[in-house]
Amino acid sequence: MIKIDNVGFAYPNGQHALEGINAQVASGKICGLVGMNGAGKSTLFKLLTAHIKSKTGRIEIKGSSVKKALQQNLISYVPQSDEVDWDFPVLVKDVVMMGRYGHMGFMRRASKTDHEAVDNALERVNLIAFKDRQIGELSGGQKKRVFVARALAQGSEIILLDEPFTGIDIKTEDALIALFKALAAEGKLILVSTHNLGSVPSFCDEVMLINKTLLAHGPVETTFTQENLSKAFGGMLRHHHLVGDDLHDDEDARTLTVLSDDERPLVFYGEQGGQKITQPGNKDD
Amino acid sequence: MIETLLEPFAYEYMLRAIWVSALVGSVCAFLSCYLILKGWSLIGDALSHSIVPGVALAYILSLPYSLGAFFAGFIAAGSMVWIKKETRLKEDAIIGLVFTTFFAIGLLMFSINPIAVNIQAIILGNLLTISHQESVQILIISIICTLILIFNWKNFLAVFFDERHAKSIGIETTFYKILFFTLLSAATVAALQTVGACLVIAMVITPGATAYLLSDRFGKMISLSIVIGSISNALGTYLSFYMDANSGGLIVCIQTVLFITAFIFAPKHGMLKHRKKEVIHG
Ligand SMILES: Nc1ncnc2c1ncn2[C@@H]1O[C@H](COP(=O)(O)OP(=O)(O)OP(=O)(O)O)[C@@H](O)[C@H]1O
Ligand SMILES: [Mg+2]
Repeated sequence: MIKIDNVGFAYPNGQHALEGINAQVASGKICGLVGMNGAGKSTLFKLLTAHIKSKTGRIEIKGSSVKKALQQNLISYVPQSDEVDWDFPVLVKDVVMMGRYGHMGFMRRASKTDHEAVDNALERVNLIAFKDRQIGELSGGQKKRVFVARALAQGSEIILLDEPFTGIDIKTEDALIALFKALAAEGKLILVSTHNLGSVPSFCDEVMLINKTLLAHGPVETTFTQENLSKAFGGMLRHHHLVGDDLHDDEDARTLTVLSDDERPLVFYGEQGGQKITQPGNKDD
Repeated sequence: MIETLLEPFAYEYMLRAIWVSALVGSVCAFLSCYLILKGWSLIGDALSHSIVPGVALAYILSLPYSLGAFFAGFIAAGSMVWIKKETRLKEDAIIGLVFTTFFAIGLLMFSINPIAVNIQAIILGNLLTISHQESVQILIISIICTLILIFNWKNFLAVFFDERHAKSIGIETTFYKILFFTLLSAATVAALQTVGACLVIAMVITPGATAYLLSDRFGKMISLSIVIGSISNALGTYLSFYMDANSGGLIVCIQTVLFITAFIFAPKHGMLKHRKKEVIHG
């Protein structure tokens, strides 16, 4: 559904943020976007929301340009950092209602369907009790969820999330992951950037590793390997490597590798490392 | 007693002054809700000074002053928005930069080309001597502005609250920003003729600021602001009849009294409420 064809972008200061990106993501999939700070993840999101325009190449969404796709309400976006003023006199439900504007007529008058969509979205992110709060009166994690709810209410087929898990506790993270899975099952395409490498195998269908260029893209099982990750992070990861001798006193040659970028570590356990990916249980966090 | 109270309404010029000021007050109050939230509060002051070169040029070309004023204001507002978009400068620096430039150009034009325009009238306004033709002009400007604002207030809110999201749902953000500042220039020119340059600034700040203290919902804030703006303007004009005082001065004083009342007694954001909370929490 998203087709990125030889896309590059340089900021006015000369910083080449992205170069020669080619990728295709189908609907019904959750695609993780992984790369170190400054790799160009947010830049890719900016391109996909027509916030900036690519200098080269072309992005196609369901066969039309990004601008057209936005007008057809195909894309919703959940920002990385709070780009809004929390002192604005708007309530939680007002913000979520703004997600519905694309469905409304000229005067943006909310219909019954719109109100239902808002309640439904707030229900799904577990914020219905905070519906009538002024947005500044929420915690950091709750504020984030308001914007997830806004994207849900928008009901678009593509949902872009820029680091939705930062500053969020494990319980909420698991709830969000369950929500993303449900949305993908409904046929939505979800593109999510994250530094929680450990969570990626548990919820992503495929993964894109980027560092200015697209280093690897494919199913998690084959692409999210130690080798590719080392390429993407170039020694920037916290890396703990325990070989067989350290682990036990027998002939077992399996090694344990723990990779961690930010929060949840990623664990490789096997003879070469990189064969098997296991997800540490929540009790370890 | 009643006869004394009704006396101002017996004069056509008073009647006209009252409804004209109420109308201008409500349009400015509507706009003020957006301005105070975005750090553009001082733009009213800036625009009222920026129109001077427009007035000078209109005089030289013998066009209506309000036309020159409107275009100068529009260009000034447009350049502020443009500079904001292209640089990282803060709003206050941009406002100061643009309006002093425009004002200086205006002064230069007037000094090279001395004219008989009554600068006093521009600075202080001439609410009580407003002509029938001027009042019709203001009526038309106000109706157009109000209609546009009523039909689009949610779009403007979306653009001002989260521009990136507004863009992502297909709202033409640049168009709405230009539209907003066009309305603002028109309203400023109308307000100039009534309360004068010095007090325009209050009319595009105080009602919105007062309403902000009273409500957490933007729609309600707008309604409150309009009520405050129109009533204080009408009342100020009305009272000026008895006090033989400058109506602009009175209007702004009334607005300030309302602001102070809200500041102290507002149900959620007022000073007394905050005090109480502090006592409860030790
Ligand atoms: N507004 C900007 N002007 C100039 N350069 C920028 C701008 N925004 C980002 N960059 C640069 O572009 C590159 C990519 O930035 P981007 O924000 O896309 O990274 P990211 O992958 O989202 O990183 P993070 O994980 O820290 O969020 C970085 O080198 C950054 O310094
Ligand atoms: Mg980023």
